[in-house]
Order: sequence, then structure tokens, then C-alpha cells
Amino acid sequence: MSLLEIDNLTVEYSSGGYRVRPLDRFSLAMERGQLGILLGASGCGKSTLLSVIAGLLRPKSGSILVNGVEVSGLTGAALSRHRRTSVGVVFQAFNLIPSLSARENVEIVCRTAGWSHARSRRRAEELLEAVNLTDRSSHRPGAMSGGQQQRVAIARALALDPHVVLADEPTAHLDYIQVDSVLSILRNLTAANRVVLIATHDDRLLPLSDVVVEMSPRAAPSAEAEEHRRLGDGEVLFSQGETGALVYIVEEGRVQVFRRRDDGTEEVLNEYGPGAYFGELAPMFGLPRSATARALGPCTVSGLPLGEFRSTIQGQAGPRPS
Amino acid sequence: MTRASSAAAVVLVSARDMQWRLLRFLLAAVATGLVFGVALMMSGVSNSFSVEITHTLQALGTPTWIVPVGGPGPFTDPTAFPASDVDAIRHVPGIIAADPVLVGRALTTGALHGGTTSGAESDVNVLGIVPGGVGAPKVVAGHAVSGQDAAVLDESIGARVGQRIALNGVPFTVVGLVDGVTYFAGEPVVFVTLQAAERLNTGGAPLATAIIARGVPRGRIPGFTRLDNAQVRSDLARPTAQAAQTIQLIEVLLWLVAAGIIGAIVYLSAIERRRDFAVLKAVGTPSTFLFAGLMLQAVALAFGAAAIGVVVEIPMSHGSAMAVRLSALSYLAVPVVAVVVGVVASVVPARKAARVDPAIAFGSGK
Repeated sequence: MSLLEIDNLTVEYSSGGYRVRPLDRFSLAMERGQLGILLGASGCGKSTLLSVIAGLLRPKSGSILVNGVEVSGLTGAALSRHRRTSVGVVFQAFNLIPSLSARENVEIVCRTAGWSHARSRRRAEELLEAVNLTDRSSHRPGAMSGGQQQRVAIARALALDPHVVLADEPTAHLDYIQVDSVLSILRNLTAANRVVLIATHDDRLLPLSDVVVEMSPRAAPSAEAEEHRRLGDGEVLFSQGETGALVYIVEEGRVQVFRRRDDGTEEVLNEYGPGAYFGELAPMFGLPRSATARALGPCTVSGLPLGEFRSTIQGQAGPRPS
Repeated sequence: MTRASSAAAVVLVSARDMQWRLLRFLLAAVATGLVFGVALMMSGVSNSFSVEITHTLQALGTPTWIVPVGGPGPFTDPTAFPASDVDAIRHVPGIIAADPVLVGRALTTGALHGGTTSGAESDVNVLGIVPGGVGAPKVVAGHAVSGQDAAVLDESIGARVGQRIALNGVPFTVVGLVDGVTYFAGEPVVFVTLQAAERLNTGGAPLATAIIARGVPRGRIPGFTRLDNAQVRSDLARPTAQAAQTIQLIEVLLWLVAAGIIGAIVYLSAIERRRDFAVLKAVGTPSTFLFAGLMLQAVALAFGAAAIGVVVEIPMSHGSAMAVRLSALSYLAVPVVAVVVGVVASVVPARKAARVDPAIAFGSGK
């Protein structure tokens, strides 16, 4: 059995009145000692996945097994125990408590788990030594560099020796010198038969990995071919949440773009007539479609792959922006 | 052991946060402490209304009061009757001794208030008594009322034995002093002879407004009624009842203001520490501990404020024109009130902390 097994995971939540589904039937399995990279642009669901594994967010459906324990069904004390002992999280913004010293930031996790003061202190000192911060143990986060803070955050994540370490954009706030030390520490974490899962948009981290998961949605190759479509009245061209590789230009008729709200109602964003284009953001940024497009009466549209679309709009007689 | 250690972690995080935001907490403690001080002083003023009645009645020897039927009481609306009526009452079974008393008021001028001759005028309560009779107070300096121009005053007036004073323009000599004999919110009592009081209040007519007696009459006294101690207390308290209620209301409002200040500070802290709470929850800290942590801060702040309040109340009370009487119990009650104020103040911010979504720990932190 894999140490981390994710099967058919779907996460859906409400954001600003809209239903968002950052993860749709996502699956992943990782063995002990593996380091995985979740790669993708902002908003593609990397942090959401980490939150779900950490037990901070409940999935809509699917299963997450950490060391054989189903995380999605945990509640109350069992959930708190999972958060404390099964996973350790290294946050993007370090998230150290500013009023506590480096040692206390690590120690507090052990104390919360019920360890004695002396044992917690010993553990914190041991971990700070492991991340080369013994001499900074009494400093508060504000007196430390970003790299040092991130190393304290790693020590904190390891405080209770978790099975899985999750790191969210661990290099986002660091310069290249600091990145080096943080990455080598993260790589070494797998030596203790842990799973380390890093969410990042920085592809320089790829050489560290045993497993790479591309989180940005990719349309099927067949969907990337140029197309001309005739649509009947009310026919949907693409739907909110779908992947999309084409940018559409209206040739004849009118197309309405709308977003479905959480309460089931529709918010019309725009209507496009002949010569106007729409739907460029999803292929451009590797995001799911954020709205649905449907025909307002019979109409004809052309779907162009991103490269072809770019060359088209460079021409003087090209379509006008939406 | 597990829970104790976890609780210690909460104490550590709360204490460190208070150190971290020390200046803010100190300012809040001082501001709240001033409010506590004023509230404590108000409590003392309100308390003094009751205490002065007890002292005054004790000074008079807690006698039996006999007043004409239909009158509200011997102090608030005295009804005059011939002083000679006392002769019949002296023969009522159960009465050991009885003397007439004339309750009135006068304006003092001249050498009163601090013993100066500033000419300041002030109202005093005048009790005309029979020298050596029932109701003659125990003096703390000088001797009891004896002659026609002799007066025994409450010490709060500030006069000395031997000093001359004027009551409604009539000169008197201070022959003795009594301690804590005031009523109607600190107005001092001046004891004079019954005849002198008649000169001041009835134009010399031999009238009295009450009979004060030792012993309890058995049976009815035609035209008169006996008042027990509680009825006399009620009579003395009636004129200040509304003021006392208002002061008590202000006192409660001040406690609420104190709770509001503490609540605002702790709420601000809860908002600023939202991400900290999210992280603590993300590492498995139960929500109840976060709740307890903020409650602890609020109670600690309230305790600090209470200590400051007790200290600042002393000079404030000395500067007060009204009597402020606080018992040891009042001071001991302050920490209890502080805990209540702290707990009440922390409910909203603590609930906010406990409800923080741990998922917000993810993200850029901007």
C-alpha cells in the first residue's frame, strides 16, 4: 500500500458567490521516500490539494489515505490528531507566530500534542540543529531572514515526525541562496521514509522530484485543432470548469458568455457579435473555463489554437478584443 | 498530563502575544483601569448612602421612633406636634424612656467648612434633642449638647471644638464633635437643644416632629405610630433613592465600558492573529484552546486594569465632594468583577478565533 493514496478526489467550494471546482476526480499515489512536485499556475488547485491532505478542507467526494487512514472522514479529536501527527505543513508565507522565538515556534507543536516542556524543548533544539539554526533559536521570526524562517517552518513541520510533509510554494519568498539550503533540506526529508509533496509553479524544482504532477488543466490533443462550429439557439459552446485550448471568434450571430452562481442563477458577463473574440484566458493561463458560452440564436464561430490566434490578431483586419 | 501540557502551550502563546503587543495592552490596561477606578468610586458613593444611614442610626442609639399617624417618617416630611405629647407616651407600657426630637434643616454660614471664615453657605440637618436624653449622640471630641447656644457637629463639617458657627444666622458654639453622622447623601447633622431647634425651625413654638424612645410600646398609642428600624432606614433613604439608582446604573455602564475596551483590544488582537490561529489549528490545536487563550488574555488584561483601578480610586475618592465608602469586601470583589468583565469581553473575539478556517494558513499571506 502506498503511504499516500488519493483516489478520484473532487473538491468544490463556494467563492464570491460562484461554485468553484479546483480538483475534479484527481488521483495520485506516492510511496515512502518519494518527493512529489505539484506543478501548475496559481489557481490550479495545488494549495487546495495540500489543504485536503492536511485535513484542513473537506473534499466533495473521493478518498485520501495517509498511511492507511482515510482522512476525508475524520472529525473532531481524530482530525486534530491527524493534523498534528500524520502531516507536517510548510507554508508559503512561513506562518511562524511572530511573538514566539524560533525554538518556541517548533516547541509549541509538541506542547499542543501533550509533550512535557523538557521533551518539547529538546525536540525543538534537535530540529533547529538539523536545519542549522541552533544559534538563532532564541530569535523571533522578525529578526530572521526569509530562508531562516522557512527552515524554522520546516523544523516545525517535522516536530512530531509526520508521515507526510506538505510544502506550499516553499521557495516563493526566497532568494537563490536561501532557495538552495531550503531545497536540500526538503530533499533530505524523504530519507526518513516520508512522502514529501511540494506545490510550486517553479519548474526549477523538477530535478528534485520522484513524481511530477502537472496540475494545470490540459485539453486533449484532439481539442487543440482549429474548428468551425455552427450552433443552434441556446447551444453551449463550452462550459464553466472545462479545460479549453481554443480561442473563439464570432463569425455570424451572437454568443452570450455567462457565469453560473452558487445559487443556480446565471450572471451574464458579455455578449459578442461578429468579429469579437472570447475564451482566450483559459488556454493562455492553463486554467479551466471560468464561464459558459452559448449561442443567442443561430451562429457560427471559429476556434483557433492559441498560437494561431496570436498570429491572427497581429493582422490589421483581425478580430477585436472582447 | 496531556491536557495540562496543551493548556500550558495556550498560556505560553497568550503570554508571549501580550509581551509582543505590550504597549497596546498597557495602554488598554491604563484606560480600563481608569474606568474601573471611576466605577469603584461610584460604588463607594452608592455604598455611602447606605452606610451613613447605619452610622447615623447607631449614633442615635438605634431608638424606637414614634411619629404622628399618617406621616411618611421622621426625616423626610416631619409633622410637628406639641412636644408635651411625650408625657403621655412616657406612661405607655413597654416604654422605658422617651424624649421629643425636632428634625429640621438650617443654613450654616461663617466659620464652617474647614474652620475658615470664608462665608461659604451650606445646608445641614439639625436635630433638636433633650440634653442627656434619648437620642443624645456619643461625642468623639468635646462634650454633649448642654446649653442653649451649644452645638455638637459632625466632623465632616471641619469645625473645631470651641469654634463659633451660625445656623440660619443664629450663633452657636461648637461644644462637641460626632463622627459619621450624616444623611441625605453626606449632609452633616448638627445637634442642638430642643429649644434651640425650636428657635431655628418653629419660631420658638414648643413643637416636636418625633418621639424617640427606649423600649417598645405594648399596644397602640392614640394618634401615633411606632416605626421600626427598617422603616426609619427607608425614610432616610427615600430622598437619595433615585440618585443611588442612577449611580448604580452609571456603575454598571462603567463596567460595561471597561468590558467594551477590553473586548475591543482583544478583538483587534484576534483579527490580527487570524493567520496564527489558522496555523495553530492546522497543526492540530483544538479550537477550545484558542478560545481559552483569548479569554485568558482578556482576564489578564481585566486583572491588570482592576489593579490600576484600585490604585487610582484612592486619589479620585479623596477629590470627591461626596462621601466614598468602600469596604474591604468591595475591594475583594474587584478581581471577581474583573474576571466576569474579562470573560464577557472575550466571548466575541474568542469565538472569532475558534472559528478561523485553518485553510487560510495556505496562500501567500498577503
